[in-house]
Amino acid sequence: MTDLPDRMAGFHSDAIPIGEIRAARDSGLLRTFVGSCVALVLQDRRRRVAALAHVMLPAANGRHAPPGKYADTAVPEMLRLLGMLAGEPVACTAKLAGGAKMFAFGAGLPIGDQNVAALERALALVGIPITARACGGESGRRVAVDVATGVVTVEMVGRAIETL
Amino acid sequence: MMPHDQDGLAALFHAGAAQASQTLAAWLGRPASMLIDRLARVSLTDAVAVLGGADAEPICGCGMQVTGALSGGLVLAATNAAGLTLADLILDRPVGCSREWGELERSAVIETANIVGCSYLNAIAAGLHGDRAGGILPSPPWFIHDYPAAVMEAAVVSQAAASETVVLAESAFRLDGVPIRCGLVFVPDQSVLDLFGATGSDRRP
Repeated sequence: MTDLPDRMAGFHSDAIPIGEIRAARDSGLLRTFVGSCVALVLQDRRRRVAALAHVMLPAANGRHAPPGKYADTAVPEMLRLLGMLAGEPVACTAKLAGGAKMFAFGAGLPIGDQNVAALERALALVGIPITARACGGESGRRVAVDVATGVVTVEMVGRAIETL
Repeated sequence: MMPHDQDGLAALFHAGAAQASQTLAAWLGRPASMLIDRLARVSLTDAVAVLGGADAEPICGCGMQVTGALSGGLVLAATNAAGLTLADLILDRPVGCSREWGELERSAVIETANIVGCSYLNAIAAGLHGDRAGGILPSPPWFIHDYPAAVMEAAVVSQAAASETVVLAESAFRLDGVPIRCGLVFVPDQSVLDLFGATGSDRRP
């Protein structure tokens, strides 16, 4: 658990790097940028804890990488971090943003759609409901979570800010 | 030529930039050049930040995926002002005339990425494969007006499953000898790097 201080500081204003997770309690701003990646927000409003993951790909398939990089490893790791912050098991809801089809190439289901679908499965496995989402399209998003209020804002270039 | 080290890799990219410079000058009808700024293996996190950090303004440009003789992601990126200047030059209008991204301005930037980018990558492919080079196969160019981190994320995501690092070839444009805030970033696929035998140490001219 030597990595906890960096990942659980009370206030984060820098953008969360690709494939990483940050969690906070009581106050702070968690933010990141996503294109085809998905920003996954888990919140327990009653315990005033929140975590944000920048999920890049659907499944780890045994690969060693930061747990936030993959949908199937991000969710349990976020729950672990939030449980430690709260000091007890958490009861979370989820919000999703991202999963855009940024460049029009490649065969099969676009990676953004695959990421969203993988997160839906991972969240369903642990019984976490998705209460809001801003997914798809062809543009990137700037996502921010106000830990104190639980408000998630989503910005896209040239559009009004969306609140989840 | 089949380079198996970083010097060979760098030489191919510089040769590609030299060819692209000629194409860019002909396309713009004025002295212009493209220079390799950096050829480096970087972490995914650093790659995503290469066009601007968390508070950077949105950029404009064009994204393309290439396959064939050379594969990877190509991004032409510019500040909004530099992109509109580029559009004015291509459309043969006084600089400052373009103020927003209409169809004409978008087409001008897309065509620039297409023409200059393909010239650049075809020259690299020819150096890599010699007479066996069959040319590159570019995807339809995609106009970008977006956050820099989101653009670069899209350029590297296809390689993220294979590695925690990517190789970036960053280049910058000069017009009439003056640097402009516009350039190309190419992210070669792992298959290309396997051919090179690249170790990926940082190379700056």
